[in-house]
Amino acid sequence: MKILVCISNVPDTTSKINFTDGDTKFDTNGVQFVINPNDEFGLTRAMWFKEKQGATVHVANVGGPTTEPTIRKALAIGADEAIRVNAEPTDGFFVAQQLAEVVKNGGYDLVIAGRESIDYNGGMVPGILATLLDMNFVNTCISLEVDGNNATAMREIDGGKEKISTSLPLVIGGQKGLVEESDLRIPNMRGIMMARKKALNVIEPVDAAKATQDAKFEKPAAKGAVKLVDNVDDLINLLHNEAKAI
Amino acid sequence: MANQYVDIETLKFLLYKVQGLQDVLDQERYADYDRESVDLLLNSVKDFSDKELFPYFKEMDEKPAHFKDGEIVVHPQVTKYMKAGGEMGLIAGSFPYENGGMQLPAMVAHSSAFIQDAANNHMPGYIGLTVGAAELITHFANEALNDTYVPNMLTGQWGGTMCLTEPQAGSSLSDIVTSATPDGDHYKIHGQKIFISGGDYQGAENIVHLVLARIKGAPAGTKGISLFVVPKNRPTDGGLESNDVTTVADFQKMGQKGYCTTHLFFGDKEDCQGWLVGEANQGLKYMFLMMNGARIGVGRGAAAIATAAYQASLNYANERPQGRQLQSSGKKDANQEQTLIINHPDVRRMLLLQKAVSEGSLSLILLTAKYHDLSIASADADEREKYRLLLEIMTPVVKTYPSEMGKIAVDNGVQVLGGYGFCSDYILQQYLRDIRIFAIYEGTTGIQSQDLLGRKVTMDNGKALQLLSEEIQSSIKAAMAHESLAPYAKKLGGKLALTQEVLQSLMGFAMKGDYQRFLADATPFMEFFSNIVMAWLWLDIAREAQNALVTGSTENSTDFYESKIHTMEFYFKYELPKTTGLAEILMDKQALTLNTDKKVFA
Repeated sequence: MKILVCISNVPDTTSKINFTDGDTKFDTNGVQFVINPNDEFGLTRAMWFKEKQGATVHVANVGGPTTEPTIRKALAIGADEAIRVNAEPTDGFFVAQQLAEVVKNGGYDLVIAGRESIDYNGGMVPGILATLLDMNFVNTCISLEVDGNNATAMREIDGGKEKISTSLPLVIGGQKGLVEESDLRIPNMRGIMMARKKALNVIEPVDAAKATQDAKFEKPAAKGAVKLVDNVDDLINLLHNEAKAI
Repeated sequence: MANQYVDIETLKFLLYKVQGLQDVLDQERYADYDRESVDLLLNSVKDFSDKELFPYFKEMDEKPAHFKDGEIVVHPQVTKYMKAGGEMGLIAGSFPYENGGMQLPAMVAHSSAFIQDAANNHMPGYIGLTVGAAELITHFANEALNDTYVPNMLTGQWGGTMCLTEPQAGSSLSDIVTSATPDGDHYKIHGQKIFISGGDYQGAENIVHLVLARIKGAPAGTKGISLFVVPKNRPTDGGLESNDVTTVADFQKMGQKGYCTTHLFFGDKEDCQGWLVGEANQGLKYMFLMMNGARIGVGRGAAAIATAAYQASLNYANERPQGRQLQSSGKKDANQEQTLIINHPDVRRMLLLQKAVSEGSLSLILLTAKYHDLSIASADADEREKYRLLLEIMTPVVKTYPSEMGKIAVDNGVQVLGGYGFCSDYILQQYLRDIRIFAIYEGTTGIQSQDLLGRKVTMDNGKALQLLSEEIQSSIKAAMAHESLAPYAKKLGGKLALTQEVLQSLMGFAMKGDYQRFLADATPFMEFFSNIVMAWLWLDIAREAQNALVTGSTENSTDFYESKIHTMEFYFKYELPKTTGLAEILMDKQALTLNTDKKVFA
């Protein structure tokens, strides 16, 4: 089984977020970038397929050269080979078109993408990718088993879970549940050194449309001070008259 | 409990920019590493420490290692740490490829250990001592001992210790009496050792003790001490069997309670076997050849605790409202909301002191590690010798400054929290208790100070001191190029001249053969000397920050760079002037402590 894990390079959740150029661009100065957590769950599951079922694991990222440390981390965790599409990931539609080209040329059986990235939270890439490729698709996927050409997936739905039987080739939008946080792997020194010697192929992007434009970024309003109330009547009064929540 | 225990951004700035890791990576020995792989490694260690070390820090203090039914019971996380340490490569990392290691530069290995120390200083010693013991075997023992012990130690299956101290022989190792009697291909070991860190725990299936002992008939004093491998369980064809190493007791301590300290007895049933490492009577020499690395490690541990304590007190100062700021009338407005305590100048002074000590100490550790790396990896033999001498003179300083000033910094951290700093609900009191041992480990401050003044300053006719002086002069010259830094560079130049005056005065006693007087004030000299060394390091930090501002570097924020320059200014205003008073003490001809009669203490 040949697996492609799509990796987004996203700011660490502890990073301080600022904007530049009249709030039209994200300020990356001093920001630590990491593998998108939903992608990392997928990568860890892919490693399981590698170790238990002899799969090969490839990773792909759409981004400039600054994303390479994040890609190298995926290689240090154990991915066999990486591809970087040398383009700024301007929006989900653009990214999906680039990844579709990678999949077409790579002959992958299983494509794992995170259900959304934690920076822009678009949640578009896996769905558009499956559509462009005309492949089976399971989104919000929380477990995945593969037996030969058959796949059994569980996906999260409102109020419960849904079990789906499908077949390869398959695209999934993965999330926590594919593996648990305690299963995530920290690269060890040997893995880090081996990662330097693994192939990281840089390819140029295909012509692709960009469907959206960023008009302006703004931070959520700062949280107000906490008010301590002594009794339920005061609380109801505040919720009704001040917060207008009830 | 604040969850920020280390400032990775500052660590990387000091590692890459100020102390120039690239100079080391350019050496052929380290050609397999680049900045990207080092970054990845440090990020991995931080992730590992977040997950496996920091969450257990408070708990290990609350549930100390203790003696029960003839063995030491340690926190269960120690077992996981040893296993994970082996898998991560934290033990094997700095060993050469031929020993199964990863040939990691010391600068990187110490950076990695610094993060772990800051996360939970009760834990890294278990790995640190295993590394130290394995290093002694790989450097000095025969192939058979290497093959038998080292592979299992590097994977963390077996632990290691250093057994030096005995009840009657602590700082004075010449008084060691543990005996070794030839018995076929090995020796029978008999004696007891105290204060053995990591001497017994469930985390490893075997513990390999490196024991200093005296072979029957060996010369008296340090010239008759040999080094032996003495495992807790000896390997046989049928597996491991007990080697008659008994844990007699543990020591209950004021700090580092999760890091066990044991009292061991060797040969209670006359069945303890040891294997000679290298040649007979060379044990102390072997041990001290490895001591530079251990002493950098002690300084690093103290710097890490000071860093974690700074982060915790800074976090508190940014959240705690208390009191009001003075108005221009000189009064306070009681109707105003309380201000955060970080807005009070005296709190800022305490925070700045912590920042200056912790970040300056980290820079000192990285610089000394760099000297270590270049002393073994430089292509040019003269360069290797130069860095060896620089390493020699800096070793007592790197061990002592973070340990001594670190505890003052942490004490200031407690003070920032006021009454809460004294309460066990807050973590500062634990840092204060934990850091106290570092001025005692691996040779006390008194011993280090005598080493600095009595040996290192004078070694090779003052060659090491001359080289260090040239390094400082070079920094002064570079800083003079920045108009804003020139006044500080001049001030440091003046302190170098003062150092010469102080040394001339002290050398006068040595020239007259009055060595007792020469060394009587070695500790104030250490304080004086290390204060000036730190001013040098802060000038270098400020210069690098200034360069970044001038060139418009975006690697770190403008606030970050300006904070480094501001801290340098603090150091030069509040710390460096103390050397004037110390110089007065050192150049006073009166030998007050030497001539103090015992009856003064009656």
